[in-house]
Amino acid sequence: MNHRNSNRAGGAQDLAVYRKSIARLPLTLRPSLNQQLAQWETLFPFEQKHLAGFLAGIDSFNSSALDALTAKLRALEVKMDVNHWSFSETGDTLENAGQLARSSYFVEWRQEVQTIFNAIDARATGAVQTNPAHGRVILLFLPENLPVRSPDTWKRWGTSGREIKIAGDARDLRALVNGGQSGVCNLLAQDDTHNNADIWFVDADESLTGALPPTALPAASCLSYSALKPLRDEFLQELNRIPKDMSAADQTVTTLRQADWKRWWPAQLAGQERLRNFVVNLFLSGNGALIFSNAFVEWAASEALRRARPRAMVACFGMRSKPKPFTSIAIFENQQRISPEPDVDDPENSAIDAMILAHYIWLAACRYTEYEQALCVCVCEHLNTAYIVTPPDMKPIASAEPVTSETIYSWITARLTS
Amino acid sequence: MESTRRNLLKAAAMLLVDGLASSRARALGITRLPDAPMDGPKVIVLTCGGIRAAETFHEDGFRNIPHLYGDLLPHSVFYPVVRNNGVTSHYNTISSILTGNWQRVDDWGKTPPASPTIFEYLRKRLQTPADDAWLISSNKALTSQIAASSDRAYGPRYGANVVFPKQLLIDAVVSAATHGRVAQTTDRTAMQSEIKTILDSNNYEGLGWSASGETSNLGSEMHSSLLRAIEDLVRTNAPVTGDEFTFLVSVEVMHRFAPSLLVINFSDVEAAHFGSYSLHLAGIRTLDRLAFELWNEVQTNPGYRGRTTLLILPEFGRDLDGSNTNGFFNHRQDHDSTRTAWMMCLGQGAKAAGVIGRPVQHIDVCPTIASLFGVSTPDVLGKSLAEIRA
Repeated sequence: MNHRNSNRAGGAQDLAVYRKSIARLPLTLRPSLNQQLAQWETLFPFEQKHLAGFLAGIDSFNSSALDALTAKLRALEVKMDVNHWSFSETGDTLENAGQLARSSYFVEWRQEVQTIFNAIDARATGAVQTNPAHGRVILLFLPENLPVRSPDTWKRWGTSGREIKIAGDARDLRALVNGGQSGVCNLLAQDDTHNNADIWFVDADESLTGALPPTALPAASCLSYSALKPLRDEFLQELNRIPKDMSAADQTVTTLRQADWKRWWPAQLAGQERLRNFVVNLFLSGNGALIFSNAFVEWAASEALRRARPRAMVACFGMRSKPKPFTSIAIFENQQRISPEPDVDDPENSAIDAMILAHYIWLAACRYTEYEQALCVCVCEHLNTAYIVTPPDMKPIASAEPVTSETIYSWITARLTS
Repeated sequence: MESTRRNLLKAAAMLLVDGLASSRARALGITRLPDAPMDGPKVIVLTCGGIRAAETFHEDGFRNIPHLYGDLLPHSVFYPVVRNNGVTSHYNTISSILTGNWQRVDDWGKTPPASPTIFEYLRKRLQTPADDAWLISSNKALTSQIAASSDRAYGPRYGANVVFPKQLLIDAVVSAATHGRVAQTTDRTAMQSEIKTILDSNNYEGLGWSASGETSNLGSEMHSSLLRAIEDLVRTNAPVTGDEFTFLVSVEVMHRFAPSLLVINFSDVEAAHFGSYSLHLAGIRTLDRLAFELWNEVQTNPGYRGRTTLLILPEFGRDLDGSNTNGFFNHRQDHDSTRTAWMMCLGQGAKAAGVIGRPVQHIDVCPTIASLFGVSTPDVLGKSLAEIRA
């Protein structure tokens, strides 16, 4: 199928052909692929390439080969009685997920799905150009106001890297990363193939994104939890109207996905439809992204790594407030609406949350081959230390002496230009 | 927790149960409640959402459970490996624990369990009154459908009373917030009026309860007391948890009705779904403290002392760090981290303290409880645990 040239895939004709390819698969495999296709225009370049490659992989199987590959799954679907379910073929729904998970064949079903995806992916490999050799970095900042306890700060990271002391003020590294001409945005923007999905800044407040020079903004995908407050408040209010019923929940999710949020978007996201769609999907997928800033940072960064495979991910955690009366009872609510009491910072617990969530971002990156050669720097500004995971092809950091922010930044730029 | 706050919650719990007792008496056309049975075994099951071994019975987790590990473990029969081989959602897991069979019903509690619950086995075989079986839950993922199965030979006439104390508070506060008046004012009178309206418009059915199969209005005494408690809670700035209120209501039910079987379901640990690890750990510490207080209550309550078996178990674990389901946030991974919990048995049924290394299952709880009461459960998949016996 020559039309699968990824440079020009995605026209109406291509999408029609893609739909036919998906229709060749067993019913339970179709919803997620159809959903991606329906959002084609707002998929990131990596996703478009990957989906096109996967569909090319399907088409590389002739009818009898595909029948043989999917026979066990089709038989399982009959045993599961899928044809009599209320099962959406057009997209992933809570009801779909619930029905599958409740089936006594669920474990077998998952194994079969994995087998099929592996076989198709193996055929698709040639079509997906992700260039794992490109230098990539993951930069995580635990700001100075989070009082991380020192004895077991990095225990969770095991022996994947090593702790180094930072000479001088650790906050200087953030300034270098953000910095004008020499910052990572400008560095990557010089690449001819650069697009703004290649570098992400995900921020609990605006200490990271707010410090970026205006010229850098178009070159990056920037998300700030605090800048999204008007949207979050409105979104949360609508989300909490969902009745306790799965079909109603799916209906509300669809409504929220299609709603016009124009007046609630921050100015930084003007005209960025793809990024706006990413945020809406992020909020609809839960995981606390609407409730806690640090959960937002972790989940947004993890989803960006999964969906966009950026060359640079820069994430900065922040402070959450102490629970107010009823917070633990109605945690899903907007606490500023519930209680007239002023917010009070909770630094110790914010630090506990940020420490594990920073590690989760690195673990998310580790799931993808693109990050096998990535450099990870997690900076704890409160302790003036950083935990550094160096890739196998990078010279290990041998010095036990404190290292300056400038030196660490030179490692980062070297990795990005490698 | 600040003592005045706890006293207020306690007063609210006590009066709430008073209200249940008086409305039941009215419904039965009697002026006093039947005497609670004072002999025979008692069983209390305390479940608590999803907790990984890594945060509890593990070198790094012991600090979160000083009472369970230091005070209770030495006196218990402890099962370190309790497998949840069913659907790792709340409603299906609690249903599986109660029925002894893996349940695969609607996750949102729209349908009852498909096979008889332990409540029904006991109440039918022992011919005990409705007050003898209770389920008190913090978790809003459960519904009153969990009280009894769809099995026609059993069903609601043999079911349990089901109460969701936390839901009462949620309904009050969310409704107040929805009308926008809380954010606009710190005026106590305005708040009081707001919550009074909410309480006036609710009854047991509206709160999702199933107390003695009726839907009475809240008693006036309980109504005004709850109003006072909630008003105070709204005005202050200290955390109050749903599990604390559930615990206090449970203790009041023990005092008032002394049920033979009481199932308590906590859910503070489920703050994990919102991505706050510190709040999840706080939920574990609350469980630890309240489990210890519950055990102390059993030791001092004349209706329970010397005749009670207490079972404590998480519903499941949570997903593994680094999983594509976002680790501790969720509990849907097909992995030991999610499917493995632990169980502690204390009291009468725990004849010989010790650690039982053999893996057991959540569905073993139902036939084990039945055996403590001398009741058979022929149609359950789970097996009675030999180490727990009458």
